[in-house]
Amino acid sequence: MPTRQTGTRVQTPPRRPLKIYAFDPMLGRNVGNKIVLDVRNEPLAPGPYGQRIQVMDYDGAAGVYYEPVDLNAPEVLVQSGLEPSEADPRFHQQMVYAVASKVLENFEVALGRRLTFRQNKPLKIYPHAFIGANAFYDPKLVALLFGYFKADQMDPGANLPGQTIFTCLSHDIIAHETTHALIDRLKRYFIEPSNSDVPAFHEGFADIVAIFQHFSFSGILRDKIQQTRANLREPSPLISLAEQFGYATGKGQALRNAIANPNPSDYQTMFEPHERGSILVAAIFDAFFQTYQLRIRDLVKLATDGSGLLPQGDLDPNLVNLIANEAAKAAQSILTMCIRAIDYLPPVDITFGDYLRALITADYELSPSDQFGQRAAIIEAFRIRGIYPDSVSSLAEESLLWGSTDDYESLPEFFPVEQLGDLLRREAAEWSRSPATMQFEHVQSETCEESANSTWLGTSYDDPFVDLDHNVVQALAEYALKNRKALGLHPSHDLKVSVTGFHPVFRVAPTGDMLVELVAQFTQSEREINANDERELGGLPMRGGTTVIASASGKIKYVISKPLLSPNLTPEQWERAEQRKLRQIRYVQEVDVRNPLTPYCDVTSEQYRTRMKNGLSFAGIHRGLQK
Amino acid sequence: MNVNIRQLQAQKAKLKYVTVRMYNVGFGDAFLLLLPTSEGTRKILIDCGVHAAGRNTNFDIKEVVSKIIEDVTDKGMEPYIDVVICTHRHQDHIMGFADARWSDVSVGEVWMPWTEDPKDSEARKLKSLQSRLATQLTDSFARRLLAPSISEPEKLRLSGLKDLAVNSMSNTNAMKTLHDGFSNNPLHRYLPPSQRKEHTFTTENLPGVVVHVLGPSRDPDVIRKMNPPAAQSYLAMNECASVGQSIRPFRESWAIQPPGFESAYPHLAVPARLKNQLDRTDTEAEELLAASLDQAVNGTSLMLMFQIGSAYLLFPGDAQWGTWQAAMQDTQWRELLGKTTFLKVGHHGSHNATPVEFVENILEQDNFQGMVSVQKIDIWKNIPRAPLMSALRDKSGGEICISQEEDDTPPRFRRSDDNKVIEFDVSV
Repeated sequence: MPTRQTGTRVQTPPRRPLKIYAFDPMLGRNVGNKIVLDVRNEPLAPGPYGQRIQVMDYDGAAGVYYEPVDLNAPEVLVQSGLEPSEADPRFHQQMVYAVASKVLENFEVALGRRLTFRQNKPLKIYPHAFIGANAFYDPKLVALLFGYFKADQMDPGANLPGQTIFTCLSHDIIAHETTHALIDRLKRYFIEPSNSDVPAFHEGFADIVAIFQHFSFSGILRDKIQQTRANLREPSPLISLAEQFGYATGKGQALRNAIANPNPSDYQTMFEPHERGSILVAAIFDAFFQTYQLRIRDLVKLATDGSGLLPQGDLDPNLVNLIANEAAKAAQSILTMCIRAIDYLPPVDITFGDYLRALITADYELSPSDQFGQRAAIIEAFRIRGIYPDSVSSLAEESLLWGSTDDYESLPEFFPVEQLGDLLRREAAEWSRSPATMQFEHVQSETCEESANSTWLGTSYDDPFVDLDHNVVQALAEYALKNRKALGLHPSHDLKVSVTGFHPVFRVAPTGDMLVELVAQFTQSEREINANDERELGGLPMRGGTTVIASASGKIKYVISKPLLSPNLTPEQWERAEQRKLRQIRYVQEVDVRNPLTPYCDVTSEQYRTRMKNGLSFAGIHRGLQK
Repeated sequence: MNVNIRQLQAQKAKLKYVTVRMYNVGFGDAFLLLLPTSEGTRKILIDCGVHAAGRNTNFDIKEVVSKIIEDVTDKGMEPYIDVVICTHRHQDHIMGFADARWSDVSVGEVWMPWTEDPKDSEARKLKSLQSRLATQLTDSFARRLLAPSISEPEKLRLSGLKDLAVNSMSNTNAMKTLHDGFSNNPLHRYLPPSQRKEHTFTTENLPGVVVHVLGPSRDPDVIRKMNPPAAQSYLAMNECASVGQSIRPFRESWAIQPPGFESAYPHLAVPARLKNQLDRTDTEAEELLAASLDQAVNGTSLMLMFQIGSAYLLFPGDAQWGTWQAAMQDTQWRELLGKTTFLKVGHHGSHNATPVEFVENILEQDNFQGMVSVQKIDIWKNIPRAPLMSALRDKSGGEICISQEEDDTPPRFRRSDDNKVIEFDVSV
């Protein structure tokens, strides 16, 4: 891009304002649905085509491209991006770019580091990939694919019967799918359905991120607080997901929402990933409403001379502003907590109970005092939904912290920080650099084969998934081998240890303290030992793995492990590992019995043998998006 | 429970056994229950149909109907059936009712799932959607079969899919018979009734019999699942295309042909081999849709338990996991399921219609007999499901009779010499 050198140089602005539909076009006629989203400013080519998010508008059904938007064109810049319009594909491109960028930013701020996508690649977004009431994240293509379709003829809601509906114009669907891509980047084995909570976590988490993002739309939030007299639990688009999509597919309501009465049997019986995920969504929002009430209590008392009862009629606009600020802060705080917890999860086979422990541990590390009762509210919300972690003695905060009940016989030695070179310095420098000053790199079109290579120790370090340099991986792998026992890894030398991820994180606590941590993920798979099991497991290997969290000095703080059955384990750990394996086998049976294709499958075919690996892609799951 | 105990005991004294007669139709269901009483033999016909992909060539459906009518005609009397039951609308359960000769048969009662109630608007909506989808899918598979360059395995796959979709079509003629095609005007029951307490009932037409209706559900969440996912948008798209309406999303002027675009914006060019991968409206999606529709229609199946004296005869139709799950979670139903002494194995012995939980933890060891009505279809190797068949054999002590296995009839089952009928007497 040529830079103008004449006159006084204007500093590159750090943010770029872009117009979007706050929810989706169905609410377009309502005031306030068109909003301006502030995203980080980065160099962009037409597309929009940035460093990590690249919009490719090729219509796979029609076999044509659509004119790409140039967000740097002066006509576009002066009006904060194109005006929202269903008829102009360039606005669609702008909206998917803006919303996906916002989600990426939310993750980066919460996790305290720069992120790329799977295999260290940029994320491609195809806003009009195919015809169909669906949208999904394709991990092989590292891409989001959005469909378009005609609204239901009989029951279209506020849509016109037969109107074209674009899934790429739904804020929630974009945010949901982008979140899938990010979770996949952070936890690559969560795409393997090893128990019913794994796909449900992917779905529920994606909904949580999508719905919480609504609370950053300040105008809408203020209106809603005025309308509901500060009772945000009242049903509204604010706490619903993908309304237009729900109506357009004849469901007669939003696709999903954040509120549901807690019923402990749901966790026992709900199976379909979106439904099961909604238990998680409801739990998190319960906690949010609790802390929100606590945060505004004094405010309301102050405004009502201590009575706490709001007067009849419209609320004072100043009060509405103050309450909206608190709501936005509470939402951001819980969302950040939810995202941050991902670093504290085991690398494989997550359950909702694991997630509860990760939430509590991550938040405790950053702010031990729990000022607004967030952790207490979360624990309670999980408890009333019957979600308990395995192997904790109580739901007290101390017992939920990771590591506090895992009685490893010996503690692992210090992390080899000195061998990690200047990784910390480089990452810190990267983190403090503004994306607006990044050089625009012209990334070539990617090839999409997944390499069969992996970071198996002793074979190859060229794992395309892991964006680490060779020396770091080697140092970590040697560390893991030396500490197999203390890390809950299988001691057999036939079983390789893979370094699945490693990164430093930089976070600022509410107190202003800087927290620097190192997070490493090691995984193993039983595939080499027992090929017969694979059949029973539908083609997925039985995996074990450990997440290790260390302080900047290298002292080990947490060892979060899902071990394979191995002689290293204590009797209790052995018992748990055995249960975990049985659970995975049972899960395969549960999936089979519900799958309408099972009776008509050729059980001798390769496709059937690997059905858990290939049959349950996100494309498959999301064909059920409209329930 | 509204059970007339005295009446029951009175009948029990006279009834020694109930005969279950399975007509060997092929891949389909036709069962006749014969209850000998002091006032003659009462008859219950459960389904009468065969699948397009699995007809028994030695016993075609016309002949099956002749045989049934003959079997329900007492000497010197008009043909009469006390109760005719249609478990669900699939061809392999009802296509026999399209036969004109049913107009000579009179019937006491007709039972169907509530989803067939013409007065129920929810049921009408569901039925119309399922039938439209079946028609569209059938057309689509038929069109694909006409393609000139089609390979032999693909041809087999597509014709299997077409048969699967055809099976779910509205079957208007058969349904017409069931609604008003018999010689008289029988009482129609759409089951289960909306009140939970009426899910167990008796009728004068079946003295000594208590009927429990365990499914299909009337729960709105379960009903929503009877709409196959993605059906609406598939229908909307197809219907637009069939009337020549454009499904192009934008004005033509926005579209740019690949060569021009790719030279103007090389960084946005999509590699050729990826282009096809983007369009997901392929046969794979239709395949899933056809199977989902099949599952959804199976999901409307009546699931009935006949309690006759000490006998408990379970006829689950082709009920799928949803119905089973609901029944097994209900303490009263779960207990009842445990009493089963005769089991009509659901959906021709497929994987989805008999839960492992039911076989392993609910059925009582060596205390029941079972029948499976099935004929192997080459492309559907998983029906009947071998591990399920052996689990049932183990649990029943070897008392499972599979219609297609002519050489393997357990001792107490009677197979006619022409292999057209298999019978078992359930002692009461």
